[in-house]
Amino acid sequence: MNPNEVDILLVDDSQDDIDLTLHALRAENLASSIFVARDGEEALDFLFCSGAHAQRSFDRPPKLVLLDLKLPKVDGMQVLKRVKGDARTKIIPVVLMTSSKEEQDLVIGYNLGANSYIQKPVDFDEFRKAVKLLGLYWLVVNQPPLATGKLKAAKQGQ
Amino acid sequence: MSSAGTKLEVQDSTQSKAKLQVLLVEDNLADAELMLRELRRDGFDIATTVVQTRAEFRRRIKEEFPDIILADYNLGDWRGVEALEILHGEALDIPVIMVTGALGDVTAVECIKQGAMDYVLKDGLARLPEAIRRALREKHERSLRHQAEQDLARKVDELARSNADLEQFAYVASHDLQEPLRMVVAYTQLLSERYKGKLDENADKFLGYASEGAQRMQVLIRDLLAFSRVGRQEAVSGSVDCNAVMAEVLQSLASTVEESGAVVTHGALPDVWADRTQVAQVLQNLIQNAIKFRSKEALVVSVQAEKAAQNWLFSIRDNGIGIAPEYAESIFVVFQRLHARDEYAGNGMGLAICKKIVERYGGRIWVESQAGSGSTFKFTLPAHGPEERVAEQA
Amino acid sequence: MKTAPELLIVDDNPADVVLAREALAGSAHHCQINSVGDGVEALAFLNRTGDYATRVRPDLVMLDLNLPKKDGLTVLAAVKADPDLRRIPVVIFSTSQLGRDITRCYKMGANCYISKPGNLHDYFSAVKSIEEFWFGFASLPEQGE
Repeated sequence: MNPNEVDILLVDDSQDDIDLTLHALRAENLASSIFVARDGEEALDFLFCSGAHAQRSFDRPPKLVLLDLKLPKVDGMQVLKRVKGDARTKIIPVVLMTSSKEEQDLVIGYNLGANSYIQKPVDFDEFRKAVKLLGLYWLVVNQPPLATGKLKAAKQGQ
Repeated sequence: MSSAGTKLEVQDSTQSKAKLQVLLVEDNLADAELMLRELRRDGFDIATTVVQTRAEFRRRIKEEFPDIILADYNLGDWRGVEALEILHGEALDIPVIMVTGALGDVTAVECIKQGAMDYVLKDGLARLPEAIRRALREKHERSLRHQAEQDLARKVDELARSNADLEQFAYVASHDLQEPLRMVVAYTQLLSERYKGKLDENADKFLGYASEGAQRMQVLIRDLLAFSRVGRQEAVSGSVDCNAVMAEVLQSLASTVEESGAVVTHGALPDVWADRTQVAQVLQNLIQNAIKFRSKEALVVSVQAEKAAQNWLFSIRDNGIGIAPEYAESIFVVFQRLHARDEYAGNGMGLAICKKIVERYGGRIWVESQAGSGSTFKFTLPAHGPEERVAEQA
Repeated sequence: MKTAPELLIVDDNPADVVLAREALAGSAHHCQINSVGDGVEALAFLNRTGDYATRVRPDLVMLDLNLPKKDGLTVLAAVKADPDLRRIPVVIFSTSQLGRDITRCYKMGANCYISKPGNLHDYFSAVKSIEEFWFGFASLPEQGE
């Protein structure tokens, strides 16, 4: 996969959840290229084009980041704070996807600039539906920023 | 002998525009008189000023704009050839003839190199009138040419501005028309749906026509907008990887391709020099057309490229319904359609847009086809940017 | 959602507001729709000043960009700069498809950007998707009193 043509960055340390999410996204043909980071540090390296991902370019960000809150090394809120706090990355849509039901997390998340917050359904089917809706909304209904927006406009002209 | 700083003004008969304005740079008034006598004898009607110093010269050329300058080489504390530098510095195009005593050949050539039109020796003043006439003739021709160049430049400028105005107008018109049109489309559709069967049957039909008309207009304006955008400054030329663009276009058309069951293949595609979005637009329009005008056979579209001198020649071949050769050119004309509206949707802008884009980069687009046996659309785009093109030609 | 969700539509075109209401009529979430026609009214509503003193803070804002008095970007910037208002998701719902408008909105903190489609069916579909996603799936912070 071309690291500069990633549609979705999925950040989660639960293999089960990762598998479910990938399966649901692929079943709906929503994203051709999904990159998985299993901890906050790797997510930051990816988005800030550093470390193992130094060959990535800031000009080609993912269209969507699905970010869990409980992560090893660097937790989700920290990742969110850094991404939304930097002019180079703040425009990337970040959706918090977490099992946390804490009102506190909700408020902090939105205040830090999270584009949206989804509570991971416990039920297998509900989870898949949620991912499908998520993907549809953020990749099809929504217009992501930057270069990707242009070609979409052309498509709507059909 | 005269002292530095005095001037001698000689006027022959009355001042008139027809008089030749001569500026003499000469410190010997007797020599000056000899020159003037020669000219008068040859029939020149002249108005003369004589200057001796640099300062005086500098002042006079700016105040009086003489038709011709006759300059001596030896001027006491300066050389006549400096007058040439001064003229050059003031960007004045006045012919200068050196009129001087014995000059070595080297010095003479030096004067010509510095910009003097000619040189005449003081003991050969008989040559002076003809030298002057020739210098004036050449100056006149130069002026005419300069004027013609300026006229051309001005016309090109006007044309460019007029073009830009037209495109701006087309863009603004199509852009601003979209909003009220969106209202008409949405509400005729809402009326259609909400009141279907509730009013008399004519109402359904009338609403249907209104709705269709509005929607057609929407597509038209969208296409006009796309067409007018082609010429705008938004396009940025650079090296474009056509393989990557092709992949994006195919993804963009994924559902259309799937629905039609078409098989689209392409060979290795090159890099071209153009705007990436516009290249995508050309490929997308051509492939969409191939899908739209497919025959009952399963559609096969193949995209290839081959090098042709400084360009790449792209071919998009399909096995669709084809185009009769007599229409091969008109299909590229804006709004030109070959089929009735109910046979094939669309308003005939797609190919016009392709043509405009391709021609913007100096390329050509055409079709090779027969009715009933598929079409091959071909177009060229430059392989390199302007600098590399020049280097290749060198 | 404990109570019916509150939606604020900021759009100077009443025809578009009517369309949105039509699209959402009969929605399972019974959202309460409020609308204002310009940027000044929008901020008054959100800050609960003047005529809007008794209003509830909306759970979601659908914001057009071309507004009189104060434009959409100005409203967006004000909302995202305010510590009490910034947690409210703002969906830009606008006719502009220009890349730079889209990018600018994201830079200002817009939660998402949706182009108003040109035909009825897609328009309804877009509005319903927005409502369904934000009130049916996403978790939203309590807007409190």
